[in-house]
Amino acid sequence: MRGGILGFEHLKQYVLLTQDEKTPFWWLQSIEDGAIAFVVINSFVVDPVYAPVITDNDVRLLEIASSEDVVPMSIVTIVAEPLKITANMRAPIIINVKKKLAKQIVLQDNEYAVQYSLTDTVLAMENDGVGDAGNLSNLKKVSTSLAF
Amino acid sequence: MLILTRKLGEAIRIGDNIRITVSDIKGKQIRIGIEAPEDLLVHREEVYTVIQEQNMKALQYTVEANQRLPDLWNKLVKHKEDDE
Repeated sequence: MRGGILGFEHLKQYVLLTQDEKTPFWWLQSIEDGAIAFVVINSFVVDPVYAPVITDNDVRLLEIASSEDVVPMSIVTIVAEPLKITANMRAPIIINVKKKLAKQIVLQDNEYAVQYSLTDTVLAMENDGVGDAGNLSNLKKVSTSLAF
Repeated sequence: MLILTRKLGEAIRIGDNIRITVSDIKGKQIRIGIEAPEDLLVHREEVYTVIQEQNMKALQYTVEANQRLPDLWNKLVKHKEDDE
């Protein structure tokens, strides 16, 4: 039990699905409640120099052995007006891609916005994951089960 | 709501596993120490509420989102290219 998505702590099992090879969006689909599915995006696509501070406690909870195991993803909020799409950079979902463990953490840093406009950023489309891109491409091929 | 008065250094225990300590008082600011099981999430109230609400908002367009995502992405890319 690592802590789920805020407001949905009772949901522990999700599947991460690639939406479409042509977009950097993914689906985080609850296995336990079919109605709960989040659109997420690799936080580094939104902000290539994203530097979320992960507490020692969370490193331990998520069994993180190396920073290469970590992919942060931001929940995307889509609204009627397409260009008003935002990503939550203040509360990323930290994924240990090796252990398939995940948790939504809340950063202490006010620098990162809860509603970070995707049009305001440099969208590093060619960079689908800082560091070891191999980690993320492993996720892309098959749907990945994650435990929260 | 249970209201207890504590002095600096004094603590409150909740259940078997949670202890809250008044760690420091400076004017109107109080430093609170929290000892709790690691799977119990501890957040500042206002931040927690904001994140929870944003998570809820994110769910609202889920149903139609699937078809719209490639189109949305194209719009964002075009917007960026127009800007440059």
